[in-house]
Amino acid sequence: MSTVIWDDYLEKLIESWRKEGEPSRTVSYLNRLRANALSRIESLRLPTIRDEEWRFTDISSLRNTLFPRASTASLPGLDSQKSTFLDEPTCRLVFVDGQYMPGLSGLTDDGSIIVCSLSELTGICASKTEQYLGQLADFQDDVFVALNTALMHDGICIVIPANVSITVPVHILYITSGKEVAAYPRCLLVAESEAEVTIVEEYVAWQEGVSLTNAVTEIYVGESARVNHIRVQREASQAFHIANNSTFVAKTAHYDSVNLALGARISRFDQKITLAGEGAECQIDGLALIADRQLADTHTFIDHASPHGRSRQLHKCIVDESAHGVFSGEIMVRPHSQQTDARQLNHNLLLSEKARMDTKPQLEIFADDVKCAHGATVGQLDKESLFYLQSRGFAEEVARNLLTYAFGGEIINRVIVASLRQRLEEYILVRTRIS
Amino acid sequence: MINANSKILLEVHDLHATVSGAEILKGVDITVRSGEIHAIMGLNGSGKSTFAKVLAGHPSYEVTRGTLLFDGQDLSALAPEERARAGIFLAFQYPVEIPGVANNQFLRLAYNTVQGQRGEEELDPLEFDDFVREKMKLLKMNPDFLDRSVNEGFSGGEKKRNEILQMALLEPRLALLDETDSGLDIDALRIVANGVNQLSNKDNALILVTHYQRLLDYIVPDYVHVMEAGRIIRTSGKELAQALETHGYDWIHTNEQITGALP
Amino acid sequence: MSAALQNLVNQPYKHGFVTNIESDIAPKGLNEDIIRLISSKKNEPEWLLTFRLEAYRRWLNMIEPTWQNVKYPKINFQNISYYSAPKPKKKLASMDEVDPELLRTFEKLGIPMHERAALAGVAVDVIFDSVSVATTYKEKLAEVGIIFCSISEAVQRYPELIRQYLGTVVPPGDNYYAALNSAVFTDGSFCFIPKGVKCPMDLSTYFRINTEESGQFERTLIIAEEGASVSYLEGCTAPRFDTNQLHAAVVELIALDDADIKYSTVQNWYAGDENGVGGIYNFVTKRGLAKGRNSRISWTQVETGSAITWKYPSCILRGENSVGEFYSVAVTNHHQQADTGTKMIHIGPNTRSTIVSKGISAGQSNSSYRGLVRITPTARNARNYSQCDSMLIGSQCGAHTFPYIQVQNNSAQVEHEASTSKIGEDQLFYFAQRGIDAEEAVSMIINGFCKEVFQQLPLEFAVEATKLLSFKLEGSVG
Repeated sequence: MSTVIWDDYLEKLIESWRKEGEPSRTVSYLNRLRANALSRIESLRLPTIRDEEWRFTDISSLRNTLFPRASTASLPGLDSQKSTFLDEPTCRLVFVDGQYMPGLSGLTDDGSIIVCSLSELTGICASKTEQYLGQLADFQDDVFVALNTALMHDGICIVIPANVSITVPVHILYITSGKEVAAYPRCLLVAESEAEVTIVEEYVAWQEGVSLTNAVTEIYVGESARVNHIRVQREASQAFHIANNSTFVAKTAHYDSVNLALGARISRFDQKITLAGEGAECQIDGLALIADRQLADTHTFIDHASPHGRSRQLHKCIVDESAHGVFSGEIMVRPHSQQTDARQLNHNLLLSEKARMDTKPQLEIFADDVKCAHGATVGQLDKESLFYLQSRGFAEEVARNLLTYAFGGEIINRVIVASLRQRLEEYILVRTRIS
Repeated sequence: MINANSKILLEVHDLHATVSGAEILKGVDITVRSGEIHAIMGLNGSGKSTFAKVLAGHPSYEVTRGTLLFDGQDLSALAPEERARAGIFLAFQYPVEIPGVANNQFLRLAYNTVQGQRGEEELDPLEFDDFVREKMKLLKMNPDFLDRSVNEGFSGGEKKRNEILQMALLEPRLALLDETDSGLDIDALRIVANGVNQLSNKDNALILVTHYQRLLDYIVPDYVHVMEAGRIIRTSGKELAQALETHGYDWIHTNEQITGALP
Repeated sequence: MSAALQNLVNQPYKHGFVTNIESDIAPKGLNEDIIRLISSKKNEPEWLLTFRLEAYRRWLNMIEPTWQNVKYPKINFQNISYYSAPKPKKKLASMDEVDPELLRTFEKLGIPMHERAALAGVAVDVIFDSVSVATTYKEKLAEVGIIFCSISEAVQRYPELIRQYLGTVVPPGDNYYAALNSAVFTDGSFCFIPKGVKCPMDLSTYFRINTEESGQFERTLIIAEEGASVSYLEGCTAPRFDTNQLHAAVVELIALDDADIKYSTVQNWYAGDENGVGGIYNFVTKRGLAKGRNSRISWTQVETGSAITWKYPSCILRGENSVGEFYSVAVTNHHQQADTGTKMIHIGPNTRSTIVSKGISAGQSNSSYRGLVRITPTARNARNYSQCDSMLIGSQCGAHTFPYIQVQNNSAQVEHEASTSKIGEDQLFYFAQRGIDAEEAVSMIINGFCKEVFQQLPLEFAVEATKLLSFKLEGSVG
């Protein structure tokens, strides 16, 4: 038993949950999981900047508000609903303030995809997910994962059966309504062997407001399966957004992800990828585009736990005004993970005098026959490119904006869902003042 | 060229070899006399590259049975560097990159080691520079690559040319060319083959390990051996290579008679 | 890893022997009385005793750091003797009068200092167990106004300089081991290069730990005034012991306008045996203040010894246009652990820094690079380039890279690159196939890997470093 550090904020939080009453559960393993997580929270506390993993991200302001869970979800008009949906046919799963909204959701496919919400977790879905749910995202040392697991009041499990290829993107839309509430959405995606799927995980706000999202997504990529994961965070400008993605990639499977951090006052994204099987591969790219007094913190951890794994990572930050970008990217090569090939790049652009960037790329290597490299840069736009554009008649400001746009565009181009990519391009055009 | 009176350079009998416990070579027999050019062909996994590595003494392979004589001397007792100094040269299928070690430094050390072994004069850096530049012309190589690290960032073709350059410098008595043709475009192949031909003479011998007939259009072998499942299952003249190219490797099994009819 | 390779790395430590010289050893343990004893033995002024006591009181309230990537049993600070000096003999008129036993020790180490000093033009200030025994070339340096002596001597002869600068770059409460050092340091070197003077020779000090369980707390202070320049060499070897020895040195460098200080280290202390028993704990605080405009501080280190190395020679770039450099090779073998790197703190405008770090791990050892590049808001147009390469030999060792980059000024350009490479069976076979044996191949690969750092060393040191590395890694590859 570890020492009990009782955190008064957590104490109050748990007390408030108890008052709200326990949601009913149908599956016993879920109850067990929740109970374990709850008891773990008793020995955890909210991190501070004295914790190495949080030294650049001060979340003490979170303590000022004890965000209650939303009890009822209010729906806005049809137009604002439509504007957040994708143009393409999708399997759409919608949450409002952390609550699953079957009425807004809809599946467009031949019925081979298995989807069920946690509150109706039974039968085949329950049996296919038991070994993964709560097992991929470790809550032992992460208070936010523990909180999410203890609550797990709503969430969704998606299973792509073996050899099935889902041709339409699965769009999981997490909407905050603008109320001062907390959402703890949970998602599990299991792609069984040789399955293929594209998943879009998107966080949007219908209205401005101070809210808290604490999301956990677990993904299991089975043998030779392929998962393409696009994650877009466009929360309200005063929101707190804390999220964890934990992914296991099995033998010769492939996991691609693009992560865009655009909104929220303070956002923290922990991405953990375990290349668990021989020959597993991943490519994870990210872009944080922030301004004003935003703070965007991305922590990634790629764990090469098997031989012949390959990982590629490109993470970029564009930091304007008084914003603060944080990147910590760790690549771990375990003993015996020979023939690992890992490459990580982190490029950061500071656009204003008050902008600040902290970056910490890390390699931890315990195998000798490996190819590992990382690189990081922090700087301004390339002066030569700027001069080139000016010499072609562009005003300096226009040239700057254009180059900034191009810097971010490299990541946006990796979004393979056309209508989403287009929307993001427009968003960046506005943010970089080109249009 | 075949000359029945010339000296036997390599004599391999019933050679068995394993790598991490798995037997790859299961009784190879081959005799090579000086002046001869042999080609060993076969599908991937047939054991032909293993054979080349075993001859050169790669530490991952263990000889479990059979004899391996080079110029009458038992090779199995010799370390890889001793085999190299005795005159066995392996042109690697995948030449190793050695960052930080300059190519000219590496080439000179290798050259001087072999020269010293033969009781001949070693060259200082200036003399060696002249010497190596002359050899590089043979392979139409750009001199600036002497200053680069060994094989680091070289294209496939550059790596293979670097191998043949080393062969030209070390003047081996037996050269093993392991898939030297793979990854080369036709021009590079011609240059490499031309280099090899100029190095070939009555006192040395050549074993070409290859998957395709392509290289054999430029370097004409005296003997063609077909390897399968760790043994040489067929030996014949250069016509065998052409027949394999036309009919594929399966043809060996389906058409015993035709192969039997070949010289 | 093949047997040949194993043999190469597993050669015994050739400097492992103990010199029998009677030592004047203080009782074990640390308290204010011991500090007063050290101070009075050294006949120090009152302000220095106060400096020590304040550091001690701070140290008492500090916690031993644990964030570094090294593991070792808890140190019992009360089981260390904080003062030992060779018993004073009659004053030495020349080298001939030095204890022959001592001279033999240097002989065995391959450092015949008088010859070396004469041949290489190096003034050697030999530190033997905390107290200077012999200093040469002092007069020659004095001619141009350079002060190069032990810090104890400097305290007596130049108290005003010591008082002005001591603890200004590494304050007494800077960190746990710096505080300990500030409380109990016994000796070290002092070097003062006056305005406009280019030091005519490399200054060199060989440190040597001798008495078993005597903690070593050297204190070095180097000051280069306006336009001055100096190259300082520090080399270390230590005899073999089975109990761990703590070494917690503090080095402070101060460069004024247009001054240039180059500090080079070859560290080859006893690393423990092949099972990880014994060896030196090397917990060092080294920091340079590039205080003046256009000043430059350059650290070069070749770290091959010690059971645990934990040091981050750093530069505070305060002066406009000042330059900081860090070139490092760290080799670990058997059970050695090294957590080393640098900090470049850019404060002044147009400051530039370069970091080149090469880590080589063999056996079951672990080598970590930990670095910080901080660009503060005032450091307009600051530039940093960092390159950290690791090489692993064998499958039981580890290499780790932990760079921290903190940028608070958008005119800065910071670049960091890291990569890994290996000496594997395939590379050695390739060499062997060209007739080159494993020993020579390893030496070639290592020297190629470390080239950029060795180029920074003074020539005689570069030769020594090359030999040392080949020696350390002999047998680990192949």
